[in-house]
Amino acid sequence: MSGRRERSGFMNRRDMLSAGGGAALGAVALRIAYLQTLDPTNYREASDENRFDLRVLAPPRGTIYDRFGTVLASTAREYRVTIRRGAVDDLERTITRIAQLLELDAAWIRRRLNEARAERPDIPYTLFRGLHWPQFAALNVHLPELRGVAAEAGERRNYPHDTVFAHPIGYVQKPTVRDIARVLDEGGAEGESRAVYLRNPDVRVGKAGIEAGLESDLHGQAGWRQVEVNAAGRVISEVGHAERAPVQGAGVVMTLDANLQRIAMQKFAELDLSTQAERSGAAIVMDTVTGELLVLASAPGFDPNHFVNGIGQEEFRGLNESERKPLYHKAVTGNYSPGSTFKMMVGIAAKQAGMPDDWSVSCPGYFPFGGRNFHCWRRGGHGHVDMHDALKGSCDVFFYRAALYAGPERIAAVARAFGFGQTYDLSLPGVRAGVVPDPDWFARAGRGQWTPGLTVNFGIGQGDLQVTPLQLAVMAARLGANGRAVMPRLVREAPGVRAPAPFQMIPGIDPAHLAIVRAGMFGVSNEGGGTAISASNLGLVRRPDNGRIVERTPETARFPPVQIAGKTGTAQVRAITDATRGRHYSTIPWRFRDHGLFVCFGPWDDPRYACAVVVEHGGAGSSVAGPIARAIMRETLLTDPARRAPAQLARLEANVRRPA
Amino acid sequence: MSPLLDVTRRFFERASALNWSIITILCALALIGVLMHFSVAGGAWSGMPLVHGLRFAGLLALAVIAAVYITARAWRDFAYWLYGGALALLVAVEFIGETRMGATRWLSVGPVSVQPSELMKIAIVLALARYYHHLDPRQTTSIWFAFPALALIAAPVALIMHQPDLGTAMLIALAGFAVMFLAGLRWRYIVPAMALAAVGAVGAYYGVLHDYQRARINVFLGLESDPLGEGYHVLQSKIAIGAAGLTGQGWMRGSQSQGDFLPEKHTDFIFTMIVEEFGFIGGVIVLALFGVLMWRTMEVAGRPRSQFGQLAAAGVAATLACYVLINTGMVMGLVPVVGIPLPLISYGGTAMVTMMAGFAIVLAIDYHPD
Repeated sequence: MSGRRERSGFMNRRDMLSAGGGAALGAVALRIAYLQTLDPTNYREASDENRFDLRVLAPPRGTIYDRFGTVLASTAREYRVTIRRGAVDDLERTITRIAQLLELDAAWIRRRLNEARAERPDIPYTLFRGLHWPQFAALNVHLPELRGVAAEAGERRNYPHDTVFAHPIGYVQKPTVRDIARVLDEGGAEGESRAVYLRNPDVRVGKAGIEAGLESDLHGQAGWRQVEVNAAGRVISEVGHAERAPVQGAGVVMTLDANLQRIAMQKFAELDLSTQAERSGAAIVMDTVTGELLVLASAPGFDPNHFVNGIGQEEFRGLNESERKPLYHKAVTGNYSPGSTFKMMVGIAAKQAGMPDDWSVSCPGYFPFGGRNFHCWRRGGHGHVDMHDALKGSCDVFFYRAALYAGPERIAAVARAFGFGQTYDLSLPGVRAGVVPDPDWFARAGRGQWTPGLTVNFGIGQGDLQVTPLQLAVMAARLGANGRAVMPRLVREAPGVRAPAPFQMIPGIDPAHLAIVRAGMFGVSNEGGGTAISASNLGLVRRPDNGRIVERTPETARFPPVQIAGKTGTAQVRAITDATRGRHYSTIPWRFRDHGLFVCFGPWDDPRYACAVVVEHGGAGSSVAGPIARAIMRETLLTDPARRAPAQLARLEANVRRPA
Repeated sequence: MSPLLDVTRRFFERASALNWSIITILCALALIGVLMHFSVAGGAWSGMPLVHGLRFAGLLALAVIAAVYITARAWRDFAYWLYGGALALLVAVEFIGETRMGATRWLSVGPVSVQPSELMKIAIVLALARYYHHLDPRQTTSIWFAFPALALIAAPVALIMHQPDLGTAMLIALAGFAVMFLAGLRWRYIVPAMALAAVGAVGAYYGVLHDYQRARINVFLGLESDPLGEGYHVLQSKIAIGAAGLTGQGWMRGSQSQGDFLPEKHTDFIFTMIVEEFGFIGGVIVLALFGVLMWRTMEVAGRPRSQFGQLAAAGVAATLACYVLINTGMVMGLVPVVGIPLPLISYGGTAMVTMMAGFAIVLAIDYHPD
């Protein structure tokens, strides 16, 4: 019967198919067994590699202190809220709820909402930094109802004096793409692992100031911890196999005096009445015995705290494009013509060339030379002046002729002996050397033959001569120290930093020549006709009983006054034309006004501090730079930081590390 | 006795005579699904595990009712209509279909969106069973009568390839060939046809496939290594299975699954999660359950005297086998990655509707053998 045959044919096929299916299922089971046993790939290891992740623990950076232990930069614990957009159901409701818990306003919600929406959904976006502990605790209680939100504790570099130490201390930032490329270029497994480390979001590196200069000391040693993570890299469990604790970076004690630095910055921040803006410039105070820099101020300042977590583009552009260049470390990188503050160098050089003590010139207000007139700043002239009076009244004509007497080589040699034309190792990036021109340099620069006209200009510190405010301070300190080759220092204590050997006398400087220019500087500040009398009246006296410097009051008026010796300077930014000559400063655009300079040292009877101030486009040195220097010197002499016991790093760190 | 009570009583009498061994295995597989979705959800009943369980319960109830009231003969009479309707819908998809993630597979009618290709998985089995039902043995084995069957398969396969949905097209083709094989196609045609199919596959690889499909196949063949792209799914899946061991990491403790390294773990890659959490033993138990289900269904296929009943039941069993083998082969790198879920366990409504419709027919064939 056909039905039967049909059926058995189907049954055969059915059984074949069933057997095939069964065999295939068996093969699948064998495949599982194969993957688990014979497959050479170590899946268990691969699974652990997925599952466990080494989390880098960025070390806390070393603390930076001023000379008396005031904290200038520290690493503080910070609580923050992050949100991962991808894990949030309703972003707006979640952020609104967080705002409610943290008591923040609608504007904050709107701003954060916009920013969070722009962020990648799987990257945690930081909504709020710097939570107070009660806020952090309150938020933690509500976290279970806020999916995708995390409250984390981290560390953050903190600059408590905000704008005051922006330049010398600098700031840290996330490593840039270029930083990472650089360590990769160094090559090898080392470079690679260093690059991985730099990509860690918690890692910051010094990008300016001491933070950059002492990066390797301050940074500390990274630790790591093994954690269990998911595919998005989120930590599921902190329980791992191993960990190594990070080691905090070394502490650093600076030579700076926070109090004096603050006063210096405040003086620059006082509004310039003619422009209604902050002043721009630099101020330096240096210990003439140890070379320690007590003040290293550049103005205007900026807040380094804004850089730590990435500065806003708008804000950065504002800082970067400002005419007053707040990001520029003017004290060590600014190049200026020293103007009349250079005249001491010319005077010493002329003396070395054999200029007799009674040598004098008659100043009619100009000096005809080489077919043109070189003007003196005083149009009516100074009359008959010798070197003392020429320094006191800052007579240009005298120094035009003194320069011709000395010759450019001799002036350049003296300038170099007093610290110009060289750079200093302050552990700071970008300390510049400036330019001390002489005929050799001129020829090498491809400018041709040096001419006597250049020597004339050299005599009043103009022309190609370029100096930094730091170098002006070094010059003042060496003059104050009676010709000792004082070297500036910025770091008191850090790994590998040792106290310097006592400074030697500058070779080839005759003390008699030095005495003449120092006396001239005393005249500038203290004698009739001096250009800086008003800027030098400190109102301080020295008590004869204990030698302390105190303010002059009716009771102390009979004590001997504390005096300084200084020199004003006015450096042309562009050649004076007949159009601008004699015009009042307020009628000239700011950027074309002269730089005002002032250098000084004191106390006169036993110099301990030297000070240099440059006010960019501040007009005559006596009118702006002088008063700023006066305020700084007054506070310096009154508080006398060089004679107070400095902080010791070991003791400071012991205090910090004492358990609570 | 009221008529309603009477109807209810008679329904339960008849329902109790259904093939409860098949129903039990279906329930066991769905329960495994619920347990796995509970693990995927990180220990929450609400959401996926609950929806999965309720969906299965509802579909099982419908299947039982359908098995009691819709006879195999009714399915046979309805077969061409079903196939024709499914084909018409596939054509409609070409023109008014909804495109999601680069593929046009859906038809939306108000709030309901359906994939006609899913409907076709059952329709192709019924249509072919119906086709062979009317042929006598001599015709069945003749080459000339194989061509209409091939045409029945080719039309939907071509439309579905064009959506594009390689996995479903493959599954329908395999199910169709299985029915042709069961119907008695001669070996002397099968062997050349397979050779022809191999040539066709190579041709399709170069001519018809999309770049992403070609990339998946390249990765599968080892021609390309792309551990973060197309190869990522399979690599992570192999890691999870390879590291699981005999008994696995434990329920809700699979590090690959719980840590989200394993993608699509609630749908296409759920078998990986089963092995990771319950080990080799867990995987073999699930495979065995599918094996027993297939065997029981094939037993049903041996019962009816009608060609339609035999072929339809065996066709459903073959479809089930294709699903399981493609899916488990895929997660272990034996088959290229195509979007085929594990029946009754993977999350998702369409595949479950298809499978339960298939078993509604199997139960009906078992209950009304002629």
